Amino acid sequence: MTTLVEPHATRSGGSPAPAEAARRRRLGPELHWRILVVGLLTVFAVYFLLPVYWLVVASTKSTDQLFGSFGLWFSEPRLIDNLRNVLTHDDGIYLRWAVNSVLYAGVGSAVATLISAMAGYALAKYRFRGREALFNLILAGVLIPGTALALPLYLMISKVGMANTYWAVLLPSMVSPFGVYLCRMYAATAVPDSILESARMDGASERRIFTTLAVRIMSPALVTVFLFQFVGIWNNYFLPLVMLSDPALYPITLGLTSWQSFADRQPELYQLTVGGALLSVLPLMVAIVVLQRFWRGGLTEGSVKA
Amino acid sequence: MRRTRGRWRGRTALLFGLVLAVVIAGCSSGSDPASTGESARKPGEKITLTFWSWVPGVDKAVDLWNSENPEVQVKLEKIPAGNSGGYAKMYSALEAGTGAPDLAQIEYQELPGFLLEGGLVDLAKYGAKDDAGKFVEWQWRQVAFGDGVYAIPQASGPMAFFYRQDLFSRWGIEPPKTWDEFRQAAQTIRAKDPKAYISTFPPGNAGWFAGLAWQAGAKWFGVEGDTWIVNINSPETRKVAEYWDGLVRDKLVKTDPDFQNGWYKDLQEGAIVGWVSAQWGDAILAGNAPQTAGKWRVAPIPQWDTGSFVSANWGGSTTAVLKGAKYPKEAKDFAVWLNTDPESVDLLIQGGYGWPAAKDALSGSALDKPYDFFGGQKINDVFAEADKAIDQDWTWIPTTAATYQHLGDGFQKAIAGQGTFVDAVEAAQVKTEADLKAKGLKVKAG
Amino acid sequence: MRSRRSDRAAAAGFLAPFLLLFTAFFALPIGYAVYQSLLAVERIGPLGLGGSRTVFAGLSNYRAALTDDAFLDSITRVLLYAVVQVPLMIGLATILALLLDAAAARGVPFFRSAYFLPYGVPGVIASILWGFLYVPGVSPIIDLLDAAGLTVNLLDSGSVLWSIANIVTWEFAGYNMLVIVAQLKAINSELYEAARIDGADAWQVIRHVKLPLIRPAIVLTTVFTIIGTLQLFAEPLVLRPTSTAINTSYTPNLAAYTQAFVNNNYSLAAAQSVILAVAACVLSFGFLRLVGRREDDR
Repeated sequence: MTTLVEPHATRSGGSPAPAEAARRRRLGPELHWRILVVGLLTVFAVYFLLPVYWLVVASTKSTDQLFGSFGLWFSEPRLIDNLRNVLTHDDGIYLRWAVNSVLYAGVGSAVATLISAMAGYALAKYRFRGREALFNLILAGVLIPGTALALPLYLMISKVGMANTYWAVLLPSMVSPFGVYLCRMYAATAVPDSILESARMDGASERRIFTTLAVRIMSPALVTVFLFQFVGIWNNYFLPLVMLSDPALYPITLGLTSWQSFADRQPELYQLTVGGALLSVLPLMVAIVVLQRFWRGGLTEGSVKA
Repeated sequence: MRRTRGRWRGRTALLFGLVLAVVIAGCSSGSDPASTGESARKPGEKITLTFWSWVPGVDKAVDLWNSENPEVQVKLEKIPAGNSGGYAKMYSALEAGTGAPDLAQIEYQELPGFLLEGGLVDLAKYGAKDDAGKFVEWQWRQVAFGDGVYAIPQASGPMAFFYRQDLFSRWGIEPPKTWDEFRQAAQTIRAKDPKAYISTFPPGNAGWFAGLAWQAGAKWFGVEGDTWIVNINSPETRKVAEYWDGLVRDKLVKTDPDFQNGWYKDLQEGAIVGWVSAQWGDAILAGNAPQTAGKWRVAPIPQWDTGSFVSANWGGSTTAVLKGAKYPKEAKDFAVWLNTDPESVDLLIQGGYGWPAAKDALSGSALDKPYDFFGGQKINDVFAEADKAIDQDWTWIPTTAATYQHLGDGFQKAIAGQGTFVDAVEAAQVKTEADLKAKGLKVKAG
Repeated sequence: MRSRRSDRAAAAGFLAPFLLLFTAFFALPIGYAVYQSLLAVERIGPLGLGGSRTVFAGLSNYRAALTDDAFLDSITRVLLYAVVQVPLMIGLATILALLLDAAAARGVPFFRSAYFLPYGVPGVIASILWGFLYVPGVSPIIDLLDAAGLTVNLLDSGSVLWSIANIVTWEFAGYNMLVIVAQLKAINSELYEAARIDGADAWQVIRHVKLPLIRPAIVLTTVFTIIGTLQLFAEPLVLRPTSTAINTSYTPNLAAYTQAFVNNNYSLAAAQSVILAVAACVLSFGFLRLVGRREDDR
């Protein structure tokens, strides 16, 4: 299992290749087998979609109805009012959280991708002493739970007076050992040495070769790294939780849990939490579904070598 | 090629500097938090103080202050209740050296903890001792440590028994006067309505349990010289633990957590028909079970002995000035005003902040009136009696939060079938001694 | 041929930004945690008003952590959880991937999207959602089961760990599935032809062709699931107020968080973090070694 699969992510992910489709037709499963498969797929789909459906239903209800009516059906829907309340509560702090989330995830993952690409490319395409040792060290970084790092990181960052600032969340988010790993794997197979050599013959600088040639060839892997890191930062909770105490700096995850935590004294916050959850979840879910083909390319390259 | 490398170097140097800053700061072992940057306000200078609190109604009091004091504005930031994350926020902001507010709501049991971490400003330096006479004596004792005054008392929580009068009378039950009667009432309720319980035993809420032990005559903590005396595992505490263990074992009370959706739903639907709670519980009931308005009444807390009447305290808050506050004098003045000005106190009472720490705040206030939610009962007469019957020498330790966790963990284990409530009390005793030792303090068992 | 020296210079330039950040935000925190975990505070006076100083404490914080039954419980709890959760997660992801691979082309994109969708829901928000579906009196699921005569408590001590496992499975099964699907797609279809010609039925194709070929993807997802499992934090933290069975040291992460921010014992928290990091590395390296050795045996 050490042979590398040829990168195939340049092929668009949508429809199966003609040969594959032909194979499917010829091997067409028997009818009862097919019913069984579709039945199972449907059962699983219900499981995965049920909480989302509940969320949609719940976000149309008033606080009273949230607790007083059957959870899986609508009751006196008032979605627009609810969402308006979410967006205007506490001078529109929710929008601020949304902007923060986008900022943390967007900037953090963009920088992380660039840095990982550079490092992965260097590890794949240059020979130097200690290269494998360094790579193993980075691999070890993949294996350390981020939450185990967050506490000491908080103590360090508070010593330099950076705790409770944007930087406290942004800077640690820019490191992605897994991104380096993926980029190295991808660059090793996808970027041919011959192209690099001929570019060098033409007098291109190493930096220019990277920015014009390598980045373009590596772009499928880079998209994967970016999305992976984006979702990772977007979903992160522990890091902002320990780093931030000012609500104006919160990402959505932290903001919503803070609403939930004082809902016992202000019951209307339950409804805001639900509405806020819907607003935050919808765009990302749409993005996830639309962009899911990008999760294919890079990941297999990584896994083949693992 | 050379130009490229130069640019690399510039950017690298920037990053390197950043890393170096982190390294150096990380390695320096001196652990002084940021030095206090306090300053005196010049006359006419406009300042803004930030204030973290979760008391309902405090926003109105702050608005009132702001309209009367254009030069010293207070910016209120609502935070989760202390044990639900509020204190964690404060501690982490104090540790970070930035982001901490000037003023914060801190409950009595957490004050020693903040004091130990050096998080509080000694208000005696700013004349707080002159204000002592404005507050109920025992609550003032809760904020005065050594020669210092470390917070301004806000409110306490004398305890009584809230119950659904409509259901009690339908089932022919009198509000229990003793804990024996409480148990009998619990049995009757179970027999009359298989869905109803007299109460829940919230295993995670050790503060409530501390109140009950306090009533039974326990005195968990004390100081002798510079040594803490820990006496959680006392006969009084064990008695209370055994009593509730019995109720839980015989399924006479629920064991669901309080202050949660499920609990509110139980209150709304009459599945829980009583609550041994503090005076501030009125606002919780009225706010979360509005459909039961008019059906609730308040009776004195059940007694262990029929001799002299004894009540207890649950909760209670202060307004403290946190380390790093730039204008501690103004912050202290606001804190005193917030908790003594009759108009402010009235607004806080209406929000349900608790039993005023200010002396003589009761008569003529919003508390001194019949209460519609309780069918026109003047419930605060009951709490006034309770307030007079509280053992006033109770003290807290710097690791109270950990003790609460130990008790809560033990109760949860017992409910899951591992051990008893008394085991939980015994474990809490041992672990609390260890907690205090781990803080570098001297400790012995009482 | 270019000299090794210019290679080194260029590589250093490319690697510098990552290595600097990696050092600052990965290597140093670990070093700092180790350092912090060796310290303790001594105080004068019952409230420390007489002053305090930080002293070297040797391994006493590690001793305290490893003799604290609540922390040890939290470790056994996540290990038990991992033993169940990892195979469950990977098994489900594999089954989903194989089902999608086996199904006719129509409908597959819908199902794949449906399974992958929860990956976009942050753990805390997923926990808030499922929390509503777990609380008796609020949850429609419990209402339905009640109506069917089944009384369940999804939040008591016997079941809450599996209620948490359900949330985590819901979040990540689809993601792991996608990784495996990607690998399945990479399989050369001639292999199926060959298997067909040899007379293999669908089951035999799965057993002898597909499973061996998607093994690398399974290894990768397993390692990530192991790491994720040990990190368990947000789900129990969010469910804690609603469940009497989740205490403040339910998982090692939660215990460290409590020590740091509730009890202000940063040294003990640091020791707990170090223990967790070491455990995670040992387990995932151990798993990779195990997989690697089997590979060599073949």
